[in-house]
Amino acid sequence: MSTPAAIEFDKVSRWYGDTVALADVTFTVGPGVTGLLGHNGAGKSTALRLCGGFSTPSSGTVRILGLDPKASPDVYKRLGIVPDHSPPWPFLTAREVVSICARLRKVPDPAAAAERALTEVDLMDVADRNVGGFSHGLRQRVKLAQALAHDPEVLLLDEPLNGLDPQHRRHVVELLRRMGESGRTVIVSSHVLHEVERMAPRVLVLVNGRLVAEGETAEIRQLIADRPRQVRVTAEGDPRPLARELVGSGAVSAVHLEDGHVTIDTEDVEAFSRLLPAAARDTSTTLKRVEPIGDDLESVYTYLHDRARGTAR
Amino acid sequence: MSWPVVKLTVRALLLQKRTLALALLAYAPTLMAFVFAVGARADANHHRFYSHLVQDLMVPVVTALVSLVVGVSAIGDEREDGTILYLAATPLSRLSIVVSKITAAWIVAFALLGPSLVLSCLLALGGDVTLGLIVWPLLGVALAALAYAAGSAWLSLRVRRPIVVGILYIILWEGSIATYAASADRLSIAAYGRALVAEKLPQAAAPVVSPARATLILIVATAFLAWLGGRALRRTELP
Repeated sequence: MSTPAAIEFDKVSRWYGDTVALADVTFTVGPGVTGLLGHNGAGKSTALRLCGGFSTPSSGTVRILGLDPKASPDVYKRLGIVPDHSPPWPFLTAREVVSICARLRKVPDPAAAAERALTEVDLMDVADRNVGGFSHGLRQRVKLAQALAHDPEVLLLDEPLNGLDPQHRRHVVELLRRMGESGRTVIVSSHVLHEVERMAPRVLVLVNGRLVAEGETAEIRQLIADRPRQVRVTAEGDPRPLARELVGSGAVSAVHLEDGHVTIDTEDVEAFSRLLPAAARDTSTTLKRVEPIGDDLESVYTYLHDRARGTAR
Repeated sequence: MSWPVVKLTVRALLLQKRTLALALLAYAPTLMAFVFAVGARADANHHRFYSHLVQDLMVPVVTALVSLVVGVSAIGDEREDGTILYLAATPLSRLSIVVSKITAAWIVAFALLGPSLVLSCLLALGGDVTLGLIVWPLLGVALAALAYAAGSAWLSLRVRRPIVVGILYIILWEGSIATYAASADRLSIAAYGRALVAEKLPQAAAPVVSPARATLILIVATAFLAWLGGRALRRTELP
């Protein structure tokens, strides 16, 4: 018999009234770090809540280590969770929070486990201070420590780098990467690709509740880099000679002239970025401004969404 | 039941400012007993006063309100601030979490109500105090507080405004309908609490049932409400 995947989503949908948070999502996640990417409201937190047994699918099944967490609470001994919101009890010290979570997950020596987890997230110097007085970043690390204290096989982390300073971001990224390499299953949600690609060799991309891409991070990065783009160029004087020069080149698929701007559609941004200065020089055009259009994250995710539905340009 | 969760919840409840306000409410009968002890006429009927104090004020109003607020806070506050996730992400069953919360709420409620009742008894009855006049009311208050706490915990998982719904139950159902309709009394926690409280009080109103039956009903009601709470927590969408 084959070992079940650590996390299995099978045709999972979750809706709240008329709002669809997840639509027919199917994936499996095995050992290593997997990034769960998507814009705000894409369904990342809903997916993680379903994994954690904090929500029930409207249809489909969710299995963690082959079990339904709601029906088999023992699975939480093997599962660590960092929720996005929900700071730990403010009247407890960091040590007490981690220790009580370890005790409730049946760790034989909760005090030692708390000490180890707090050391791992570099919190020992404030371990005996109340969490209520902590900054957002310190609270994030307490949340991470409580999730690590029982040495889980599976870790679900909802935006774990939020609020961390650059030094601790690096530290946590390194820690999670090590955990993935040691054979644990780690799923990390984020809306920032470059943040995820530093630790996750694989990503799942959710857009508007749908799984629109999954695979190696480098492939997704390439897919995003290769997508058609629009660039708006503002030139001093008449932009038409520049437009004529550009339209004949292979890197440009369409040129639109409007209000003194030239808007260029390109399939190959790199080639276009080499072509534009040369075209400006050849036509004696002074470039005032060059700006990409629709290069924000929302547009990137929308492109992936449209591509998955076969409607992308 | 999980004692670490009970201790954690007791600590959280005791740190709340509203617990101080509840302490004032819990000691309202003591204040009244003190005023009675100081200002009563020589021919005043001390047993009658004490009987009314525990049957009309201590059980149906003070115990009900204190247990309601503490019971709702025990789960409702954690659900609101999201800390319940850290308990839900443990091998504890949802029923076990709810039972631990109810136990913690009961400990806090009884810690406020118990001493107040004993002091009220001592002040109201002076030298006429017997063990039965303290123990039976204490048992009535303890079991009624337990049932109210269990009901409040369940309400906090089922309705948006559990305190309002709880107060409506206490005032409209127990305070009005159940007082005048004998059959409605069977669905009143206060009525069974009063049945226990009244056991050794000479001027007590007629109890609805025997003390043994009242004890059994309050325990069964608590268990049923706790089960409903566990089921509600299992079905509740956590933040």
